[in-house]
Amino acid sequence: MEVKETYNGKIREATIGLGDTAVTVGGETSLPLYMFEGAAPNKPVIALEVYDTKPEDWPEAAIAPYADVLDDPVKWALKCQDEYKADMICLNLASTNPSTGDRNGADIAPIVKAVADAIKIPLIVYGTANADKDAEVMPKAAEACQGKRALIGPVEEENYKTVAAAALGFDHLAAPHSPIDVNIAKQLNILITQLGLAPERVIIDPTTGALGYGLEYCYSVMERLRLAAMTQNDSMTQMPMINQIGREVWKAKEVKTSEADEPAWGDAETRGVLWEALTATALIMAGSNILVMRHPKAVELTRQFVAALTGATN
Amino acid sequence: MKTHKVTFYPDNRVAEVADGESVLTAAIAAEVHITATCGGDGDCGKCRVIVDDGAIVTKQTPKVSDEDAAKGYVLACLTSVTSDLKVLVPPETRLGIVPEETEEAVTYGKMMTAAEEAESLDAITLDPPVAQFFLTMTPPTLDDNASDTVRLTRALRQAGVDEPVIFKPAALKEAAVACRQEEWQVTATVRRDPEQALVTMLQPGDQTGRAVALAIDVGTTTVVGKLIDLDTKEAVAETSAYNRQISCGEDVISRIVYSQRPGGQARLRELVVDTINEALRRLLTAADMTQDNVVAVYAAGNTIMQHLLLGLNPKYLREEPYIPTATTFPWVRARELGLKLGPRTNLYPLPCVASYLGADIVAGIVAAGIPTSEKLSLYIDVGTNGEMVLGNNEYLVSCSCSAGPAFEGGGVKYGMRATFGAIEEVLVDPTTYEPTIKTVGGKRPIGICGSGLIDALAEMFEAGVIDAKGKINVDLPTDRTRIGPSGPEYALAAAGDNGADRDIVITEADIDNLLRAKAAVFAAVMVLLDSVSVSLQDVDRFYIAGSFGRHLDAARAITIGLLPDLPTDKFYYIGNGSLWGAHNSAISREKRAEIAATAARMTYLDLSTNNKFMDGYVAALFLPHTDATLFPSVKTGARA
Ligand code: FES
Repeated sequence: MEVKETYNGKIREATIGLGDTAVTVGGETSLPLYMFEGAAPNKPVIALEVYDTKPEDWPEAAIAPYADVLDDPVKWALKCQDEYKADMICLNLASTNPSTGDRNGADIAPIVKAVADAIKIPLIVYGTANADKDAEVMPKAAEACQGKRALIGPVEEENYKTVAAAALGFDHLAAPHSPIDVNIAKQLNILITQLGLAPERVIIDPTTGALGYGLEYCYSVMERLRLAAMTQNDSMTQMPMINQIGREVWKAKEVKTSEADEPAWGDAETRGVLWEALTATALIMAGSNILVMRHPKAVELTRQFVAALTGATN
Repeated sequence: MKTHKVTFYPDNRVAEVADGESVLTAAIAAEVHITATCGGDGDCGKCRVIVDDGAIVTKQTPKVSDEDAAKGYVLACLTSVTSDLKVLVPPETRLGIVPEETEEAVTYGKMMTAAEEAESLDAITLDPPVAQFFLTMTPPTLDDNASDTVRLTRALRQAGVDEPVIFKPAALKEAAVACRQEEWQVTATVRRDPEQALVTMLQPGDQTGRAVALAIDVGTTTVVGKLIDLDTKEAVAETSAYNRQISCGEDVISRIVYSQRPGGQARLRELVVDTINEALRRLLTAADMTQDNVVAVYAAGNTIMQHLLLGLNPKYLREEPYIPTATTFPWVRARELGLKLGPRTNLYPLPCVASYLGADIVAGIVAAGIPTSEKLSLYIDVGTNGEMVLGNNEYLVSCSCSAGPAFEGGGVKYGMRATFGAIEEVLVDPTTYEPTIKTVGGKRPIGICGSGLIDALAEMFEAGVIDAKGKINVDLPTDRTRIGPSGPEYALAAAGDNGADRDIVITEADIDNLLRAKAAVFAAVMVLLDSVSVSLQDVDRFYIAGSFGRHLDAARAITIGLLPDLPTDKFYYIGNGSLWGAHNSAISREKRAEIAATAARMTYLDLSTNNKFMDGYVAALFLPHTDATLFPSVKTGARA
């Protein structure tokens, strides 16, 4: 006997970018990957990270694939697009972090514009999650990529009025970021939609924990968001979700430690790639729609997993 | 040891204290009652006084602004006496008197009227646990040679006393004379417990018709007492006073903390006993009676108040797993507790359920008739703790949550109790953002009380001064919202408005405290409903008890998501349910038994480790609530 659940909820579809290369995510009518109970018209997509400045703290294995482009965000983004076939680019404005670069909005606006203009695939622009700093930087960044319908994040409780308003004003989407808490995720969605941003332009960033670093908390919060969306038809949870995976995985001790320091742990690259792919696949099962990743080989593994699950061929 | 004289104005009371003692200690010694919400830890900033003359050593504190410091304001608890002093206690710091309850019409729901109170008294058959019986006996003869006590027992049987009769030694001693003095006519005072009738006093002749009982609600903030005529069942006098323990902290937790200081527990008992004695003195004067008329005392309070009154150490009520010494208590001699009553007068402490669910609540739900009704009722009493009970004649579940002192004006910069000068009503114009305020007694505004805070929050939310997270929009075209010394704030009264001598503002931190308080209460309500799988809509009657509930504008409380969004015809205010239950106990053995049985059959849910509570709490930290479907009327603005 076949037991099937029917759901009264549905995840909204959200489209990032414009024209032929726009990417649509969401639209599920069942719990994640319950393809026997509903439809999942859009596959999870993968965005590759690009930093606005040469990263200082990446382990060797993560540097290697980008060694020739790390100084130039535009070339870096094009490499991700053309060589590694990213679905999207996530431009991380790391240099605005007050404790490191502390560059301001005017400094990074030209970089955002250059990257946005260079790539064909959709753009995600992320600040440093410093609420005050992002409130200054993100409106400038949003302005710089006006006309691209990018995804702007993170929108925090403390700065939603500025950051979400910038997304609204410059016709982008917004990624509200909540601290692994279903209620706060909902509250932030209510607040930013009350500002006038359509719920179809909201992608939830529920906070990502890497494998071994809170993945299970992240998983259960995402699962609860999806249960609320599907079984309770809770409108303020029915948005697609984004996970910042690369950033979290590649700072884990198990990933950063070199083989020389821990011979028993084996090859550092393999370790890092598997760590990232495992985190990504777990989050796909939890309902992630946009996976922001770092290592091309981890992306490859994750794509194979998606293909196997959805029966799609890549 | 060097001592100094500290004189407090305007009361003109003096205390002699040791060098280095705090001004707060001096005030307690001088019986000047100062608001000390945090119990003297320097945290609440409420114990503001002005030192007029004399030498002091005071600790710097951000709780007193530089401007105020320049005017001579210090915190009494952080200031030590180093010479003779003159201290002025400003109005916002004084404990003051409890304003008379006015029979205000409530705009949302239904208030129990005096007529209904009388009607409910009528329905109770007079049968007091401590009663006086006028007995007439046949004199003994050589043939009928039964002892005095046998004769008395026979007479009591005839009067309807069918429990085994026991004589207290004091009564025995006076039996011989009492029986014979008025030709075998005596008045027996009898305490009737389910298992026995205890004769406590024998007086010659007919002394009945003059007996009263004292019913008291021992509240954390307010003590309310009534003298009850044991013939008519009615109250002959009523009075209330602030619990003098307030000088040792506003809420039950700070009282427990205080009780653990050297001499703290004894001090707290003394203070509450003083409060009761003062109330008693006023009651006896009003009723033109003496202590001899009082045959029994019935005290209802929360579990901590019951412990402190009885001299039981409350320490373990606060430590996991939160166990009280007792939840049912024996009769105790009133005089042993320090009450100014006759040596034979006993006090009955009404029974509690758990450390944070006390006799006040049990008494209240019985007074509301919940344990015998088929209707599903939700009973809630909000103060520094929110206590609630859900149930009917089949089951009763209860829980409590710490709401913090915000609703009593604590933890709020300009918060105060609902006494004269407290802003109790607020309107905010949605176009100009200008407030309109009303104060208790129409006096010059000196602070904001709980109901004023709820009003302000609801109005600010509806006018768009704050968002659903309680954040103040400082970009509005008004100078009412601004960045103040402690962050964003909204000025309810500017110095000069309505005679205010300082700006009275609500800060974002105040709003956070209020949000936390309301979120705890609402989350607890939801956990209670969930525990028996019923929904809000299944609730037939929603009872609001307590003096806070009485002043509360329920419609506003719904707007901020403190109270559930139920139609007006389900709301009932029962005022002081605790006192009402004590009154019932005083006139009816059946009621007293019902209260005991109710306490015994109540289920208590501990929320301290309840995940659903934590989750519901975060969901409720939003205006009105993260789940807007729970508050349909707030969204549409159309309340039934
Ligand atoms: S600050 Fe003095 S009693 Fe709280």
